[in-house]
Amino acid sequence: MDLAGIADYLVAFAIMGGIYGVFTLGLNVHWGFTGLFNIGIAGFFALGAYTSALLTTSPPDPALFEDFKFGGNWASIGFLDWGLDVWFVLGLASAALCCGVIALVIGYITLRLRDDYLAISTLGIAETVRFFFLNEKWLANGSKGLYRIPKFLGDWIAPENYGYLYVVVVFAVLAIIYLALQRAVNSPWGRVLRAIREDEVTAQASGKDVFRFKLQAFILGAMIMGIGGALYAHHVRFLSPLTFDPMLATFIIWAMLMVGGSANNKGAVLGALVVWGIWVATQSLPGILSDPSFRLFMVGVLIVAVILLRPGGILGEERRVTRLADSDAARPNNPGG
Amino acid sequence: MDTSPILAVREVVKDFGGVRAVDHCSFDVMPGSITGLIGPNGAGKTTMFNLVSGAISPTSGRILFQDRRIDGMGMHQTFGLGLMRTFQIPREMKRMTVLENLMLVPAPQLGERLWASWFMPWMVSRQERRVEAKALEVLELVSLSHLANEYAGNLSGGQKKLLELGRTLMADPKLVLLDEPGAGVNRTLLRDLSANILRASAERDITFVIIEHDMRFVMAMCDPVIVMANGAVIAQGPPDQVQQNPEVLEAYLRGPGSSTWQRAGTDAEDPALDGRRT
Ligand SMILES: Nc1ncnc2c1ncn2[C@@H]1O[C@H](COP(=O)(O)OP(=O)(O)OP(=O)(O)O)[C@@H](O)[C@H]1O
Ligand SMILES: [Mg+2]
Repeated sequence: MDLAGIADYLVAFAIMGGIYGVFTLGLNVHWGFTGLFNIGIAGFFALGAYTSALLTTSPPDPALFEDFKFGGNWASIGFLDWGLDVWFVLGLASAALCCGVIALVIGYITLRLRDDYLAISTLGIAETVRFFFLNEKWLANGSKGLYRIPKFLGDWIAPENYGYLYVVVVFAVLAIIYLALQRAVNSPWGRVLRAIREDEVTAQASGKDVFRFKLQAFILGAMIMGIGGALYAHHVRFLSPLTFDPMLATFIIWAMLMVGGSANNKGAVLGALVVWGIWVATQSLPGILSDPSFRLFMVGVLIVAVILLRPGGILGEERRVTRLADSDAARPNNPGG
Repeated sequence: MDTSPILAVREVVKDFGGVRAVDHCSFDVMPGSITGLIGPNGAGKTTMFNLVSGAISPTSGRILFQDRRIDGMGMHQTFGLGLMRTFQIPREMKRMTVLENLMLVPAPQLGERLWASWFMPWMVSRQERRVEAKALEVLELVSLSHLANEYAGNLSGGQKKLLELGRTLMADPKLVLLDEPGAGVNRTLLRDLSANILRASAERDITFVIIEHDMRFVMAMCDPVIVMANGAVIAQGPPDQVQQNPEVLEAYLRGPGSSTWQRAGTDAEDPALDGRRT
């Protein structure tokens, strides 16, 4: 491989790594901070991806005899363009909104019940979303998939160099989400979430409306996952229900959070990059070593190794998370770990 | 003088499956009082606290707080009305620091709204500094200052009890339910605790209901005393009267808590007993 080839390879890696970073941050809101057991990340992933793709893609050319009719076609509406492709932002926002509404409905029904109901229903929603897009052919072309999903700022740069632009877009979105989340978890709001994770009853006895906070956290995390899905859709530019298998759309994200460090946003992003790096690197191993099941096994080994060596992940939870009062010079002792 | 009770429990029943843990209980708690709630193990005292605080709902009966029905409300709602409780078995937030455990409590915190943490962080942070100062003050009162930044899960049993008490001092409740605040706390510290409770009662006008097996503590602190046995209230009145009540003595002699009761009368001045309670 020449230098340009290596650079392309790295960019492709970074784009997916960054997108996974978004999902891992979303899962961190659910599991890391609030203790909500979401095992259906794939559902919000798919919902976000399809929402943005459907709204922005043009309907199919009748000459192609495609089954599906829908296509919001926002990408070709002049006033959503201005040469700046504003539709992209709207696509991401719609993906977040759609996931938020679904999370509101599921959360409202299940978050008052025992924890396991949430787990089951997130699993259920993941499968439901998959079957929905598989069966409703008029909407998303079923198993043949949705293609020609528009590129954000595709006219600005030669197609072979587009990755260099999109990687910046992905990391800009990742950075915004990261900063917003840092602020949220550093605040009393984040403190309530962690209290709920530790002991719901005490949180309630301290006057917190546990259900309301859980619902907020569930919605916020789901919205972030929706944005991740939309970023993915405009990157790969082809979606089929088969893309969202539990392995690459749920399990690996859990692995990333466990490895990087639950309840630490830096750790979440780091974990996404590390695990995705291992996943991609093992792709080009010779023979059986590049077999997906073997690579999956490697990820499993990595999780076990991290759990044994550093139970909290590479970057574990910081001891004191809410730091808004820290400028106070009157702090007694502040152990740094 | 205010004569209407701050808390009124009326014919309350609680069944757990076939077990009747609370059986037609009625009593009043007068504002400003430090009421003791005693009785042998399994008498239903903790269950009564769970009912009053809203952790569980009664099978039948009514509970009124300041003339307002509170049975069926959740704990966060009764908290909002000014009712706080501690847990017999401490329930601290293990992977949060002692300081954060306390900073969680104060009720209307602007920063608990997500939009405020995003769009007005300076105001949130100003409030945080006040909350932190308050928490440090409370830590001083319960002698846990040196552990402010330790994980609450790493505290000893007695220190966790102190943290439970600290939680109630973080807010401005009207009524505080303390479930065995002294269990596992050493004698010297228990004296400080009593002093703090008395001070809060006098200066901040907080009413207390205290469950405690340590009779010296109850006799010194509480008036009136309510006695429960087998889920029912069997006696109530000033401590010295209750102590003489034959029914009460019998309940204690039959029950597993008998030794505790006798100690109150006979060993009151014996310092050697200090570490003996379990
Ligand atoms: N959640 C529950 N499910 C079933 N039974 C319960 C439950 N909570 C309490 N009980 C039963 O109710 C009875 C009263 O228990 P409770 O905890 O109120 O006693 P207590 O007076 O606080 O005793 P102690 O002094 O030992 O703390 C006991 O027989 C107990 O087994
Ligand atoms: Mg009890």
